[in-house]
This record gives sequence, structure tokens and C-alpha cells, in this order.
Amino acid sequence: MAPSPQPAPPRPGTRTLVVLAAVTVGFCALALLLSADLWGRLPARPQIPLVDPAFLETTPWRQTYSDLAKAKEDLSDFDCYACHQKDKPPPLRFDANHKLLVPDEHSSIVMGHGTHERNNLCFNCHNEHDLLTLQIRDGTIVKFDNIPPLCGSCHGPTYRDWEAGAHGRTNGYWDRRRGEARRLSCANCHNPHSPGIPTRAPAPPPHPLRDPGPHAPAQSAPTP
Amino acid sequence: MSLPETLPPPPDKTSDSAMSRRNFLRGSAAFAGLSALAASLSPLRELGDFSSSEEFMQKYYKEMTPDDMKRALARITREVEHQYGIRPHVRDLRPMDGVEFVYALNLTRCIGCRKCVHACVAENNQSRNPEIQYIRVLKMPHGSLDVEKGDHNYTPKSVPEPGFFYMPVQCQQCVNPPCVKVCPVNATWQESDGITVIDYDWCIGCRYCEAACPYWARRFNFAKPEIPPERLNPDMAYLGNRPRKMGVMEKCHFCIQRTRAGRYPACLEVCPVGARKFGNILDPESEISYILRTKRVFIQLKEEMGTNPRFFYYFDK
Repeated sequence: MAPSPQPAPPRPGTRTLVVLAAVTVGFCALALLLSADLWGRLPARPQIPLVDPAFLETTPWRQTYSDLAKAKEDLSDFDCYACHQKDKPPPLRFDANHKLLVPDEHSSIVMGHGTHERNNLCFNCHNEHDLLTLQIRDGTIVKFDNIPPLCGSCHGPTYRDWEAGAHGRTNGYWDRRRGEARRLSCANCHNPHSPGIPTRAPAPPPHPLRDPGPHAPAQSAPTP
Repeated sequence: MSLPETLPPPPDKTSDSAMSRRNFLRGSAAFAGLSALAASLSPLRELGDFSSSEEFMQKYYKEMTPDDMKRALARITREVEHQYGIRPHVRDLRPMDGVEFVYALNLTRCIGCRKCVHACVAENNQSRNPEIQYIRVLKMPHGSLDVEKGDHNYTPKSVPEPGFFYMPVQCQQCVNPPCVKVCPVNATWQESDGITVIDYDWCIGCRYCEAACPYWARRFNFAKPEIPPERLNPDMAYLGNRPRKMGVMEKCHFCIQRTRAGRYPACLEVCPVGARKFGNILDPESEISYILRTKRVFIQLKEEMGTNPRFFYYFDK
């Protein structure tokens, strides 16, 4: 714009007003843009369900006789002479394949101890002359609340490891000066009649931060 | 400039007690401008709980006097109580003399149930969404120790699956930790009991340590951690499981709040098969010494890296 030879005195503030208006319009546009999220925000993260507290449980999955006795729970299952007769060892019955027949009264017992169920006779461990106790094959009588020596009579190396703290879990204090360590007993983890650890459902796998997308390797697909 | 001719005559000064058109426009423009400014700055509000001046002025962990530490613990207590409504018990636990922690994991026993993963999350107040987990359980085919064949997303109906073994991987607490060497601000260091710790208030979030770790053991808080208050563990340690904030690293610290108080780590206490073993290697009577003496302890994971982990994998009968 060429200056006129006789410029009218510029009105003070006109240019200021224009600039102010432009700035205002600019800010308004910026605010609108920001609130409209034109270029998008990160997509909301999918909900991740909290893990089932059962997976955080530290109590062993089996309760032994001594646990039940300590907790003063029902011990009627251990009252053998409610049904059996004293001074009369219960007879063992076998089928045609020489396989032990578990009587109906003990149908909860599944026999599966040892490879090919070789340890399949009740009185390998139970004391046939006093069903309230157990016995080691050398004749030592073992009470129900202290079974590791009985198990150890066959599983020697495992018993040695257990005594040293290497087999089985220990809870509590590693520093024995500060508190006590709670060792689990054999039957806290193993069912003596079928000692293999049963399979179980695993806890949920990790959830990726974002959807891995269609090109992710197949194995990293998360479960819902 | 023909503006002067077209403009209306200047308003009568005497009638200016009411608002003139010009002043009205000016006022609205100024108001709109200020509101727009406020609106455009509003994302900064999320930074509000990012840092307090007290936290900003806090000294480096190793330079704190007992009084400084007392103040820092009081601040953390206050902040946690404010955020979660639960009063925590925050302590600063120092390493014990004559103690060096070592972990051993029995690969023959592990069934891959992932209970350790979630017990760790619960104990150490890790973010639930986005999810942060210190332990990854790798499902590996029998006959190989190649971690590249490992899969940590397995979801079978039941574990263990035939033909596979499971290898949980977490911070290996190396004797020669690469993560410590790369930290530009010394926010992570190795303590005398072998635990590599992080001062979450000193970390700048550069993630060099995450890149340096050969075990992928370090986790970064990309977002503000989310912990449901009912699952918050109130037993906290300064270098351990106190809640982290966005933008800092975290990792397994052998449950410092438990182990330095004499207890076993949370992952060990939840293991259903007793595959995890922990203890003081300087005590010849400890179970960990027994295991390292008598078992076929043959893996330090990625031994060739020269990191010399304090985390041993072993096989058993």
C-alpha cells in the first residue's frame, strides 16, 4: 500500500484491534481444535479384569491330618473303627488282573502311587493292626501328624532334600532369628494315594499395552 | 485509508455510562481470548499430581540424612493416603550385614501356573492397567534352552502341557549389572546384599537401563499406574513397592520390603510346587547353599553376557 502524499492521521488502535481480533480468533480456533481432538487421542485402554484372588492364595491345596487337628475340624474321616473291627485286619480284594479293588466305602480314594501303580497295597503304609496309625516297613509306627519319615522310607533323596529345605515350599521367614519358617508336609502337596501333582488352569497371560494389530505374530495374540 | 469517513461519529462521552459497542467488543474479545488460553492450557492440569515441590527438592537417596529420609517417608505416606485412602507403612530398609541374596528356581518342578506373576503384582503394587508384571513365564519346548522359542502368552486349559517346560524370568540381580552402568543419573545401583534397586524419585525415565538389560526385566510406566485401592499393599519400602508414578522405571527387587525384614519373597510363598528357593548364600546352612552345593545348577541365563546373575536355574530329579 503506497503511502498517500497527505496521509490522514492513522486512528490509533485500529491496528491493535485487528491484531487482538486475530489473536482471539487464533486462540478460539486452537481451543476448538484441541477440544475437537482432530488428530485423535490415544484410544482408551481396554479394561483388564482383576485377577482372581484364588491365584494369590498361599495356603496349600491339601490339608493334612495335623492341619485339621490344629484347626479343630471334623476328624470323623480318620475314625477308622467306626466301621472297621478292632483286632481284625481288613481283607484286601483283587480283581482278575491282580489289581486292588477299592471298596465302595473308600470310593474317594484313587489309587495311583508309583510308576504302574506299583505301591498299591493299603498296608504298605497303613498299619493293619491299628488303623489309626501308619507303619514303615521296618515296623516303626508312625502317627498321622508326622508322615515325612514314612514317605522318606522309600523316597530317601527327596526326604533328604525336604529336610534341608530344598524340596517343597517353605513360608514365613528365611531369617530364622526374626521369625519361624513354616515347612509344608508331604501330604500338603501330594495326595498319598496318587501323589502326582494334578494339572491346573493357569492364571491369565499378560495383556499387551496396545492391540498388537493384524501383523503381530500369531502366538502373541492375547486372550480376551 | 477511507476508514475515518465510514466510521460512525465518536460516541458521546456523556452516554458512556452504558457500555459502548467498542468496549463491549473489546471485553468479549478479551474474555474469549482468556478462556481460549485457559482451554488450550488445560492438558497441563494432568501434570498437577506429577510432582510436588517437596519431591522436586528431595535429595539423592545416598545423600539423604536420617531426617531427610523421615521427611521423604512422611511425604510418601501422605501422598499414598491422599491418593488411595489407605495409610501405608512405609519404611526405608537397609541391607543387612553378612547377607547376600540368591534365588534358585527348579525348572523340573515349575508347572507354569503363573501364580508367582500375580502374587508379585499384588505384593509390589504394580499397575493393573496398563499392566506391569515383573515376571514372565516362558513356555519352552523340551530339549532346548533357546529363549527365542519361548512363548509367554500360552493359554491352555490346564498346565503343565506335555512336551514343554516353563521358565519364569525376572530380574536376575546380576553381580555385574549392565543396567546400572548405563544409568546417566545413578538412579539405580547395586546394594551390598546384591539387590539392584531404583530410586523412583531420582529416575528421569530415559529407559537406557531397559535397553541395556539382556533379560528384559525392567518395566517402564508409560501411563499413570492404576491400582485399585482395595488391592493396595500397605506394607511398603522406599526402594521397594511404594507406588510409582508415570515416567519411571521399575523392576523386581526381591521384595525388598519382605526380604530385608527376614521374610521370603511373595513369588516364592505362592508357588504351589515349591519350585522357587531363596536365601542367604553367605549362610552355609541355608537351603539355597544346600541347593547350589548339591543340585545340578547349570544355568545362569545368558551366561555369555558376563552379567553373573544371582538367579540360578536348576534341574532336579
